[in-house]
Amino acid sequence: MAAPDLLDPKAAVHNSKPRLSFSTKPVVLNTPDDDECDTRTTVMRWKTVSAIFFLVVLYLIIGATVFRALEQPQETNQKLDILAKKLNFLATHACVNSSELESLVKEVVTAVRGGVNPSGHLSNQTSLWDLSSSFFFAGTVITTIGFGNTSPHTKGGRIFCIIYALLGIPLFGFLLAGVGDQLGTIFGKGIAKVEKMIVKWKVSQTKIRVISTLLFILFGCLIFVALPAVIFKYIEDWSTLESVYFVVITLTTIGFGDFVVGEKSNSTEGRSESLEYYYKPVVLFWILVGLAYFAAVLSMIGDWFRVISKKTKEEVGEFRAHAAEWTANVSAEFKETRRRLSVDIYDRFQRAASIKRKLSSELGINASINQDMTPGKRTLSVNLCEDRETYSNMTLSLSPVPGALTRNGSFCLNGLSPNHADRQEIAIIENLK
Amino acid sequence: MHSAGKSWLLLSGFVLFYIIYLLFGALVFSSIERPAEDQLRLDMDKLKDAFLNRSCVSAASLELFLSKVLSANKYGVSVLRNSSGTSNWDLASSMFFANTLVTTVGYGHPTPLSDAGKAFSIIYALLGVPFTMLVLTACVQRVMYPLVLAPIGLLQRSGLKPRPATVVHFLLLLVLVVLCFFLAPAAVFREVEVSWTFLDGIYFCFISLCTIGLGDFVPAAQPGQKYRALYQVAVMVYLFMGLMMMYLLLRSFHKMADLHGLTTFLQLPRCEDSVLEEDRETIMDSDPTPPPYLKDKDASKPLGPGSFPSYNSINKS
Repeated sequence: MAAPDLLDPKAAVHNSKPRLSFSTKPVVLNTPDDDECDTRTTVMRWKTVSAIFFLVVLYLIIGATVFRALEQPQETNQKLDILAKKLNFLATHACVNSSELESLVKEVVTAVRGGVNPSGHLSNQTSLWDLSSSFFFAGTVITTIGFGNTSPHTKGGRIFCIIYALLGIPLFGFLLAGVGDQLGTIFGKGIAKVEKMIVKWKVSQTKIRVISTLLFILFGCLIFVALPAVIFKYIEDWSTLESVYFVVITLTTIGFGDFVVGEKSNSTEGRSESLEYYYKPVVLFWILVGLAYFAAVLSMIGDWFRVISKKTKEEVGEFRAHAAEWTANVSAEFKETRRRLSVDIYDRFQRAASIKRKLSSELGINASINQDMTPGKRTLSVNLCEDRETYSNMTLSLSPVPGALTRNGSFCLNGLSPNHADRQEIAIIENLK
Repeated sequence: MHSAGKSWLLLSGFVLFYIIYLLFGALVFSSIERPAEDQLRLDMDKLKDAFLNRSCVSAASLELFLSKVLSANKYGVSVLRNSSGTSNWDLASSMFFANTLVTTVGYGHPTPLSDAGKAFSIIYALLGVPFTMLVLTACVQRVMYPLVLAPIGLLQRSGLKPRPATVVHFLLLLVLVVLCFFLAPAAVFREVEVSWTFLDGIYFCFISLCTIGLGDFVPAAQPGQKYRALYQVAVMVYLFMGLMMMYLLLRSFHKMADLHGLTTFLQLPRCEDSVLEEDRETIMDSDPTPPPYLKDKDASKPLGPGSFPSYNSINKS
């Protein structure tokens, strides 16, 4: 019988063999004081926090150097380019002096910040504050994306924006939690079904978990990232990189605003009114579900990490405790049994020896019978045969029991020529048991 | 089934309320901003006409020039005279940009121009955003004790019941945060930035600390700013601490709502303090009652199968 049998509580109850016990909870190593309890529950160690903080600062510095290396050459190119154009303009149009141009440019830039695009015919442009665009702007404020291509410029608009965001962001947070929950349960059910199918192939639990997480992430990426990127690329006429860039920057709520949906439609004409009207709200809906998906993925991964670490800790702890207790129990029982056995054997040996002495003194026969074994040894081997049955689950290495001595309950002889006296001896010894 | 139906109902209620809220906001914004926009348009028209009238510039070439200037300006490159010296991508500004990327504020001024920059931004953001969330949560957890739990304990000891104590504490914390992180910085910004008013400062602080980051106001963007690098680093530190305080406020509000039963009423996720388990100093569950068989037994009792189940009590012989 191997070790797992002993760890099974049910088996331990029904066994008649010496029962080894174990506790169901991990062994308690030390109990902390009560006054330390409050501070010790939820606080991270200072060292860890500062380590993570320095890591973040390092991450920022690395990012800064990389961005500088990538962007600065491009920036200087653009600067030289636009300066050249300005000089060219001034040169070709001699009646304009540079200060007039500067003031015009300043005004234009401020106007663009206000959302008015001075190029093109101004009267045909759709407003940036019609209902659907304002709806979209309100959505970007609440989701904290904040593109910034439109922003309030009046005092009243800004004050209202503050109050609106104060109330709206928590509201959106609740909504996001709810949608994320529903998404999580839907996907969880789907994954459970998939897991049931895979379980038939006898794959381990953790592998199934990992595979299902990967599937979930892949599937969600396809629906919420890849598909919209393709759609935007087609509708907005961006490159692939720009569409993916827009999707990622939006769904992480960074929201730079250098690429925004529906911007081009402000200047181009020829789209149907109804399509434009519904385009931005649909995009907002996609943002909501995409944000919920991201939040669900993050929380799911966080949950699993927590569960895995807790479980492994528990399992490792339990296993270690079990193993320690089991080995301790086994060795203790072993020692005890050995002691008992040796005491037992010694007793019987003594008894047999005394009986033999009595017999020999009574019978008056000298121990001249040629035997290979003394009666003591014979009794020993006979006893051992019977004891082997009882302690068969223990690996006893007490004395080398010859393979020939294997009979249930019957005494085993060692190939001795039965002599009259011996038979009697043996008969007496047998009766003594 | 009943609870599942209830949660669906609640969710649809939330969605409906969200849509109504958005519509309401759209209406108000539209009515406030549209007149200003129209006025600005008229001004621009007049300006262009005035410029075109007295010069030899044709409308077409002006349009071309303006569109080029505007596209350059979108990326932060200005054509004005006194801005040629400062770059948007020196070390401090790049760090500021990386910070806005990672805290999801995302002003948008400047933005990456090159394709490689855009690709790198994607990867950088995907890694950096969860990481920053982790750091912020860890810091908030650490700060939670001296700023939240200790004062609440103090309030409770001075006689208040738990529920009013949390409310009082939350209000105090709110006042403190508004004072230190909105009003004071707004005053500082008004001094340092030439064109900002006090309201602009408050607006900027709010939009940044909620990580909305519209980008209409960006600090250290003026040409000729003194001590630009130091200013940007200071703003970064302010952003980080401000974000931490906002999270702390949110957390204490959540705890307060938890205590008052709001979270269970709205079926929201409960307060979870177990965010980072593996680093916590654990409290072991001690067995409240010792198992009954772990008592001293006579050593002379005969060995039976079940008499000494645990090795603790076996006498060593």
